[in-house]
Amino acid sequence: MDAILELQGVSMSFGGLKAVDNLSFTINENEIVSIIGPNGSGKTTTFNVISGLYEPDSGEILLKGESVAGLRPDAVHDKGISRTFQSLRLFSNMSVLDNVLVGMHSVTDSGVLASMLRLPKVRREEQAMRERAQEILEMFPGRFSGPRQQQPAFSLSYANRRRLEIARALASDPTLLMLDEPVAGMNPMESHEVMEQIKILRDKGYTIVMIEHDMHVVEGVSDRVIAMDHGVKIAEGTYHEVANDPQVVEAYLGKRAAEATA
Amino acid sequence: MAAMTERISSVLARVPRGVYMALAVVLAAGFPLLNVIGVVETAWLRVGVMSLLFVMLALGLNIVMGETGLLNLGYIAFFAFGAYTTALLSSPKFELRWPFLAVVVVSTLIAMLAGFVIGLPTLRLRGDYLAIVTLAFGEIVRLTIINLQGFTNGPNGITGIYSPLLAGGSEVKTGLAAWLTVDKPIEYYYLVLVAVVVVSILLANLKNSRVGRAWNALREDELAAISSGITASRAKMLSVVLSAGIAGFAGSLYAYYSNVISPESFLFMQSVIVVCMVVLGGMGSIPGVVVGAIVLQALPQVIRQAAGAARSDFEVYRMLIFGVLIVVMVIFRPEGLLPDKLWRRESHEVDPRELEKTRQSLFDLEEGEKDLEV
Repeated sequence: MDAILELQGVSMSFGGLKAVDNLSFTINENEIVSIIGPNGSGKTTTFNVISGLYEPDSGEILLKGESVAGLRPDAVHDKGISRTFQSLRLFSNMSVLDNVLVGMHSVTDSGVLASMLRLPKVRREEQAMRERAQEILEMFPGRFSGPRQQQPAFSLSYANRRRLEIARALASDPTLLMLDEPVAGMNPMESHEVMEQIKILRDKGYTIVMIEHDMHVVEGVSDRVIAMDHGVKIAEGTYHEVANDPQVVEAYLGKRAAEATA
Repeated sequence: MAAMTERISSVLARVPRGVYMALAVVLAAGFPLLNVIGVVETAWLRVGVMSLLFVMLALGLNIVMGETGLLNLGYIAFFAFGAYTTALLSSPKFELRWPFLAVVVVSTLIAMLAGFVIGLPTLRLRGDYLAIVTLAFGEIVRLTIINLQGFTNGPNGITGIYSPLLAGGSEVKTGLAAWLTVDKPIEYYYLVLVAVVVVSILLANLKNSRVGRAWNALREDELAAISSGITASRAKMLSVVLSAGIAGFAGSLYAYYSNVISPESFLFMQSVIVVCMVVLGGMGSIPGVVVGAIVLQALPQVIRQAAGAARSDFEVYRMLIFGVLIVVMVIFRPEGLLPDKLWRRESHEVDPRELEKTRQSLFDLEEGEKDLEV
């Protein structure tokens, strides 16, 4: 098992608040790791630091041994890390298909002059992109079929918008896929479906790290779970190890509950 | 009645876009023939040339405003860069007469360079701040032109700009050289029309490409765009430089056409008018912008004509009419005359008919996929 992502002592503070405090963990190839923790425990900040939206105060972030700490988000994406957002961030007025095509930006290279003249090279690349986008959208059977691909993203149902964000993130064939609460706001049936799809992605060879609050999903898909509280990693292991860890129980339910389970 | 218009519009919508494009080009190309056979006066041909030049300006501004979502209130400055470069390279001012193609290319490049220079510090700014800085930039350029007397003759402007020779460098007014000299309104009309058609085809290609989608993504959600691998600074700079280049190109043709240029042609109001053309036509829509520019440039002339030659004070009311027109548009049709399909849905919060249609088509799909539910 090769390490895909390695965080070494990463810290990030906002003024006096240490959002992420000396955090270290490793994500291995072809594994699904869930990060859990109560609100404000630093999960999304961790994602933002990895994906380049924030520059860490200290520590090292390695993707396949290569440092990506402090790079701009587009550069991090170029290196192979792609993500979704907790609060949906689609290109609302662009079509479903175009949203996925934008996701391929860093793995394609048609320039402005060639595109203006629509050179054969550009046409071929565009054709290949559309075929690939089709394949990606078909990973969500029936959700983005036919006329729906030409509709603007904002006209989709909530669950389909979440799916589309995953599709956009997959479009660049990332080395590491980061999902920020992929099933937030979905009904149990929908979240079950997404859970199955995440497993399929792992079987296809993707490496996935996700933030999730839905414990059924976390239990269902995770090879490993990392629990955070106040910016610190408090537990790591299989779902059951983490779920029964007194510190985790305390973080979620308080001291008395932790003593009761102990 | 309503059913009738509905039916007509649905029939019209089924006609392929290419047909409309071809029709527009044929109409535009046929217009001067009316002058040749004597139906319209040559003055209308001049209105046509100016309209086409403003079409090109509006197409250029649309790249920044419509596609990338950056407001530029000093856009006319790039037009001025193109016009003055042409005037200096092809007039008695410095006794230069460069070949037409070289002048146009250099004018375009100088405008692009100006776009790059102004883009460097300003593209970090957003929204209102960008608007203010570009507005100031436009004024600085105009005031510089007025005060840089040695170069620009200040408020007097540069006169006697030579007519373009499409081939050869001589001034012989006989034979082929005379034939290839553009100096009649009808010749300018076709020269500018060809330029506009070429520019619109290039921009239409760009719109549905990787580059165009990157611009749209930045307009929609910059954070998501940069997280999808788009380098914001580079893509924005590209859009500013390209739009400046188109304005410079238009400026160069304008200088040739008008023979005389002076700072009065590059007022802040002109920038505002080009912004209005883009908004009126429909941001992000190439056909819309073309229509918007023609309407705003030609309509005042038509109204002036209709009002009678006696009312020479029409110019005074021109801006007033503009203002009213824009207010009416923003209230009743905020998406513009011929909007880009997707924008239309954003600008009206809820269009009940549209919503019902969308709902119905989504419902049909949901029905079809029941068996896929887990």
